[in-house]
Amino acid sequence: MRIHAGWLLAASLAAAPNESVFEQKLAPVLAAHCGSCHGASASGGLSLADWKSALEGGKHGPAIVPGNAKASAIVRYLRGESQPKMPLGGSLPEETIAAIAAAIDAMEPAPRAVTDNHAAWLYKAPSRPAVPATNDKKWIANPIDAFVLSKLEAKGMRPAPPAAPRALLRRVYFDLAGLPPSPDQIAAFERDPSPAAYEKVVDDLLADSRYGERWARHWLDLARFAESDGFAIDGERPNAWRYRDYVIRAFNADKPYDVFVKEQIAGDEIDDKRGGAKDEKLVALGFLRMATWEADANFKTQLRQDFLNEVAGTTSQVFLGLTAGCARCHDHKYDPIPQRDFYRLQAFFAATRVDDRPAPFLPVEDPKTMRRLLRETEDEIDAANEALEQIEKRLKEKLPAKGDLQRALRDKKNTTLGEEDRKAHELARNRQRRATDALGRYRPVAYAVSDVTPPHVPSLPATYVLKGGELSARGESVEPGFLSCVTSKSEDAKIPFAGGSSGRRRALAEWIASPSNPLTSRVMANRVWQHHFGEGIVRTPSDFGRNGDRPSHPELLDWLAVEFVEKGWSLKKLHKTMLLSNAYRQSTASPDWKRYNEADPANLLLWRMNWLRLESESIRDTLLLLSGQLQPSHGGPGAFFAIGQDVADGFEFFKWFASGEKEQARRTVYMFQRRSVTMPMMEVFDGANMSESCSRRNVTTVAPQAFTLLNGTATTEAASKLAARIVEAVGPDRDKQIRRAFEIALGRVPSENESGRAAALYAKAARPEDALARLNAVLFNLNEFLYLE
Amino acid sequence: MQHRRDFLYNTLLGAGPIALAHALQAAGNAPLAPREPHHRPKAKSCIFLTMLGGVSQMDTFDPKPALDKFDNTVMDWSKERATDQVSLFAKPRLILRSPWKFARHGQCGMDVSELFPNLAGCVDDMAFVKSIQAENGNHPAAVFLMNTGTVIPGSPSVGAWTTFGLGTPNQNLPGFVVLPDFRALPFSGSQQWGAGYLPASYQGTMLRWKGEPIRDLKPPAGIGPEQQTAERELLRSMNEDHLGRHFTNPDLQGRIDAYELAYRMQTEAPGTLDVDGEPESVRSMYGLDNEVTESFGRRCLMARRLVEKGVRFVQLYTPSQSWDSHTELLTRHKKNAEEVDKPIAALIADLKRRGLLDSTLIVWMGEFGRTPDNLADQRDKAGRDHNTRAMTIFFAGGGVKPGVTVGRTDDLGFKAVENIYRIRDVHATILRLMGLSDMRLTYYHAGRNRRLTDLGGNPIQEIVA
Repeated sequence: MRIHAGWLLAASLAAAPNESVFEQKLAPVLAAHCGSCHGASASGGLSLADWKSALEGGKHGPAIVPGNAKASAIVRYLRGESQPKMPLGGSLPEETIAAIAAAIDAMEPAPRAVTDNHAAWLYKAPSRPAVPATNDKKWIANPIDAFVLSKLEAKGMRPAPPAAPRALLRRVYFDLAGLPPSPDQIAAFERDPSPAAYEKVVDDLLADSRYGERWARHWLDLARFAESDGFAIDGERPNAWRYRDYVIRAFNADKPYDVFVKEQIAGDEIDDKRGGAKDEKLVALGFLRMATWEADANFKTQLRQDFLNEVAGTTSQVFLGLTAGCARCHDHKYDPIPQRDFYRLQAFFAATRVDDRPAPFLPVEDPKTMRRLLRETEDEIDAANEALEQIEKRLKEKLPAKGDLQRALRDKKNTTLGEEDRKAHELARNRQRRATDALGRYRPVAYAVSDVTPPHVPSLPATYVLKGGELSARGESVEPGFLSCVTSKSEDAKIPFAGGSSGRRRALAEWIASPSNPLTSRVMANRVWQHHFGEGIVRTPSDFGRNGDRPSHPELLDWLAVEFVEKGWSLKKLHKTMLLSNAYRQSTASPDWKRYNEADPANLLLWRMNWLRLESESIRDTLLLLSGQLQPSHGGPGAFFAIGQDVADGFEFFKWFASGEKEQARRTVYMFQRRSVTMPMMEVFDGANMSESCSRRNVTTVAPQAFTLLNGTATTEAASKLAARIVEAVGPDRDKQIRRAFEIALGRVPSENESGRAAALYAKAARPEDALARLNAVLFNLNEFLYLE
Repeated sequence: MQHRRDFLYNTLLGAGPIALAHALQAAGNAPLAPREPHHRPKAKSCIFLTMLGGVSQMDTFDPKPALDKFDNTVMDWSKERATDQVSLFAKPRLILRSPWKFARHGQCGMDVSELFPNLAGCVDDMAFVKSIQAENGNHPAAVFLMNTGTVIPGSPSVGAWTTFGLGTPNQNLPGFVVLPDFRALPFSGSQQWGAGYLPASYQGTMLRWKGEPIRDLKPPAGIGPEQQTAERELLRSMNEDHLGRHFTNPDLQGRIDAYELAYRMQTEAPGTLDVDGEPESVRSMYGLDNEVTESFGRRCLMARRLVEKGVRFVQLYTPSQSWDSHTELLTRHKKNAEEVDKPIAALIADLKRRGLLDSTLIVWMGEFGRTPDNLADQRDKAGRDHNTRAMTIFFAGGGVKPGVTVGRTDDLGFKAVENIYRIRDVHATILRLMGLSDMRLTYYHAGRNRRLTDLGGNPIQEIVA
């Protein structure tokens, strides 16, 4: 159980009068009716024998919340609002319950606790902590190791031995590139696994463009990136791909994180020389628009409010690691975020409207090709329209004079039109739809936002605190202001001049991306750590508040955060520091496993490396790579993967047209992300939930994963294409084929025993190529393939 | 490595690494194993029959003779704060009488319109609630509300919550099965039966009633059973070798188990879902011999066979928007009723005669009800609009008090006026009957403990036996 130190402290400050109310008014009644179970025997961990125990409560939380009868477990259970109704098998008279509730309501509420240790740490900017001394000096490759080892030594524990070269190389390749090393690269590293060779691998991978494709995906999860609106119509966002490419470029170019933050919140209002060109900064604003959008909502004012709520809540979660959205209806129940602060945060977006802004393609987006594709698509639309007209004209001639063609086409019983007529019409209609759909993707437009300011409107829109979050219940009006838990004051923010725009988002962005903001650098350093090590130092990466997890190594996190800012907010430098630590290079197995597992089963102290399962994108990309199908890509509009024809035809408001085979063989990050159409691999292997910011992927193990990975098209195609590649390389010799398959899929040679078992597959197969293909499929399904040591 | 295995074998558990990994397995790695309910359950399985688009209550189960009297007169909306469907209600509107006749049926004397001649024969097994209110009059939001308790995407559905709370008895089949109509999938597709923020194990598994029921269930063409067994052996033996080297990772055993479940499903699912093996009499009882009733009938029969095998939650959908009759109420409602009437009646009767009705909860509902009136300029196309203020739903089976009717609407069927219940109360009722308390069934996500019913629902006590 987590101890809320601040709560207890605050409660004890207010204890004296409340305690006497308890003793005089409540204790006698409670002793009489509840004492047999909740006295000395403390059923369910709850004793009501004295004030302190009642406050501490049992497993269902505090029994009494001073000043709030409704929130007090005791009242909820007596009223039967929580089950089982108390006392068990009976109930107290209504007036007795009312008296208890009244007494609790009359108590002095606990003052909002901002004085606990966690808050004292969290809301104060980190300063560089001293690197702790350790007994073992040899293990320290950089300060990270000192922080990790000092905690281990304090518990009498040792870190795990270094991972085997092959395991380490696979780990770092999947980590940075999302793809495995080649057999030759593994062989080379096994020959020379020296620290210098490892550092070279890290440097090469950080310079590899596949790094951006892999790490952008982590950010796209947070940005709830999708290329459609969601809801009923789920309309396409034809230019959203430009935001995806922006994120990939930002990671590859090692764009300073503070600039990256500012561009996404206020790209149109800032002018930072370290940042991208003006048009690129418009594209970056896509972040603010990535939420779902109910395009056909009847109640537009509510839609607008939903947008404001979402954008304020997500901004707070993603950049600050705070769940400010919880303060939409009432003061935050756990963190010092008054409801008023949520609306002050929202006020930074009060003038912001969703806006598709003209933004010429950047040189890197290949404007020439885009222009050509736009032209070709326009021509194709003309041609398709004409073809459709021709067909419709021809079909109409078949119908009686005033016959309605569309109705006749729908009416299957109408025999004037034959099967072929219908088919021809459908083909022509699909050709037209497909071309029309594509057009918007090549337009130089940024899926962005803009501020509406005077003189276009009389004044900037006011923001009101909404009671209970209800649009109709306007309370006081508020001005933009930073979270008071961080600034420890509730002044209005100073809004800089931002010609043509309100400047409000710029004020917010500069506050978030400031080195003195206590949250921003820690939250991002923690996210980077999380992806390298499988778990964050704070394991609830988008909730650093009281309800989230406590940091396992707060000093280390502070050290990383300070280092991150001082090295110019460079993510690549941060990666390298983490990856060169011995903590990262540990094995997943410790010789002291049994003892350590009892002491620290969750591996909070990092006495070994965490196991990592490949994410859905890595699984699919690896299959494409190993089978030689993977197509290089420089971004651009997403590819449409193939789905069952019944599904493709089953949507009311759009039709799904699969792209060509080569297009589909691009990395998964380039697949078109429609909210209502999920790739089988993403669906079963815990792809990101596109509805809201996803800070952490689930890792589930369910049977449908076996069907998809063993029998699905992605596997069967990869397995047979890889088989063909192997036959081409090593010829018909069975043992050579098996050896090569192991090398490619697992990066190692098979043992004699394994070769023998694999050979058994050949005995059952009609053709040797089939056996080899199925062997490949089996290898793709191995735990050794999916889990990184 | 051999050294470590021997060490373990001799000193730790007196068992090999495989058994050890079993012992290490936490509940998190057997997510679908049956779990203790919060209290004694009244039903073991639930079949949720989802009528998408919104059924008109005054044309089905909630007769309003006053509509005949006021037919074609203006309805006064001035006292209603219309926060949804604003544009519809700003224009002139006229009351529309029901085109269908009602009669009393069964010992309970329940009113049923001509639309449901077969269900009319089951009323003594059903409990009706005429006073359900939804909070949102837009289809997508209302469907999310009906399934997940919230109007925006991203939350777990009631089937996911139930499976999360209880696990599922049959480890050879999924715990939560969804049977949509492929003519038009519900809005947002799989998000409607998704696990939301719960672990993905609890998401609904969508089955098809035509062709292959589970995607990629069968091995690729040309792989015979012998070949498949050889593959399975190779996969398992290599995974077990790997586990022997890495016995400290419990997930590895979880995944070996998942493959074994997959193989078992391969064997068990096709048989369970093969409704064509049912006797002719049963097939025709469910309407499989008629193209109007075949889709829903096959899926009702699949549902029976699934709950018979212990599947926890089965959800059927009519096509998206199918009941949505802004115009042409007469033809649309008639068509929809025809598609489901016979199959549902057959499902109830079939479960009953097999002794399964007592342990199976049936819930029938849509996302909202419909209005007594429609736009004046649509008069010749006679339809009804969305109505969040009144909807009739029914329950049957496990733990349901048969033959009761709860709640009342006003004389025109416009608004529930007695014993009003919300969607969250329906959810609380389902959970209650399944042995779960909606207040205790929580999952920590994004800063707080989340619930299906958010701040809690009131189970509809009047229908609980």
